[in-house]
Amino acid sequence: MVTCVRIPRFSLRVASGPDRLDEPVALAPLPGGRQAVGEVSAAAEADGVEAGMPLGEALARCPSLRLLPSDPVGVAERWDRLLEGLEGIGAAVESERPGEAFFEVDGLLGIHGGALEGVVVAARRAARAPVRIGVAPNRFASLLAAGREAVVASHALGGFLAPQPVATLAAGLGPADQGRELIGALRRLGLGTLGRLAELAPDQVADRFGALGQRALRLARGEDTPLRPRRPREELVAEIELPEGAAGSQLGRALELLVDRLLADRKRRERTLLALRLSARLDSGGSWSVEQGLGRPTASARAISSLLSPRLESLPEPAGSLRLRALALGPRAADQLELALGGREPRRGRLAAAVREVRAAAGAEALLKAIDVDPGSRVPERRALLTPIPEP
Amino acid sequence: MSRARRVYAPRRAAVEAGEDGTPRALAGTAVEAIREEWVVEDRWWTADPLHRHYYELALADGRSATVFRDVRSGRWFRQKA
Repeated sequence: MVTCVRIPRFSLRVASGPDRLDEPVALAPLPGGRQAVGEVSAAAEADGVEAGMPLGEALARCPSLRLLPSDPVGVAERWDRLLEGLEGIGAAVESERPGEAFFEVDGLLGIHGGALEGVVVAARRAARAPVRIGVAPNRFASLLAAGREAVVASHALGGFLAPQPVATLAAGLGPADQGRELIGALRRLGLGTLGRLAELAPDQVADRFGALGQRALRLARGEDTPLRPRRPREELVAEIELPEGAAGSQLGRALELLVDRLLADRKRRERTLLALRLSARLDSGGSWSVEQGLGRPTASARAISSLLSPRLESLPEPAGSLRLRALALGPRAADQLELALGGREPRRGRLAAAVREVRAAAGAEALLKAIDVDPGSRVPERRALLTPIPEP
Repeated sequence: MSRARRVYAPRRAAVEAGEDGTPRALAGTAVEAIREEWVVEDRWWTADPLHRHYYELALADGRSATVFRDVRSGRWFRQKA
């Protein structure tokens, strides 16, 4: 059985606070992104505005609609805290997007009193937020069950799904646009409920709707893929305030500084990095965030900086601070096999050992390097910063 | 999380100034000559503007030093640059 912990309109709640959800509000399009509204409040929905709707159409339908700048950094941080709370009760959590988390409940029964209610109570307490919780045999059904705070047993799954409107498929299908098109097409064909869809033969659905249709059919029939829980991770983050109007090479140097500081963090314990999130607080009040996989485990400042620096070009407007967070850690750098004997790798290993020894003897701040930040500045203290030397 | 430190951060300095406002002694050492002086004004568009009057000094003991007077507070600082 799968448990779903859900906070509807989570991104909008973070951006607006709970009080303003009674008003017609929506998340503004991300700077530089598609001109469509993000999550919308119930009041806006009542006026016909939907998430993903083009901005012009949304404002035409609801002239009093207020747009709020989205805060992807705040959303990610608050959702991470909630997931860590759930992991604290022993749950192996999968979460593809903020506002929805799933975990298998069977292995937790023994820890929380042997009954489902014990796990639900523990999850609610760990979330520390008003959440909706549903339990069902798979991910999609548990998401629908969470809307009603229901527990759906395996034998009742078919009966639970059959009367659900096809619009509920939007929650289980991938990109919003394609899902919406499919749902519209199903409605036009008179297939208004999941039960009607489930009656169709798989080859008919594949012919007419392709892979997305097949996925919708599997969901309607109560079949879903197994959960893929994330690995619990430690907080490994570095942040830097930017000088006013920082751009171009200044941003690049700030990024180098961030990477150095992240790699010098003791909590890393020589492990390599696999994925990072680079985010910024924008001067206009919102935030910006991108995630970057590294392709292979690495602890090389140069490799990480070269992957991240092109992403800075998509920064939509001036930022007040930059933040770098490790999303996934790999094995210790020393555990990786060497491809070549002799040469650079052993030298790098000896240098890394020397850096560790000096730090252990004289403190984390004992080895620093100067980075040019704004070498031409008329104000001398703005020209350079001291930052920890990363382990080679 | 360790914070990055600034290089060349200004430090308070004990400067004796003459009536015309120019430095006469630094930490008890007489000023032999003022080699150069310049003014830096920056961030005047913010609530925390920067207005400094810099002097590059030749001291009586042969050393050189750069000091500045923060025009807003009237305090003296020494700075390597």
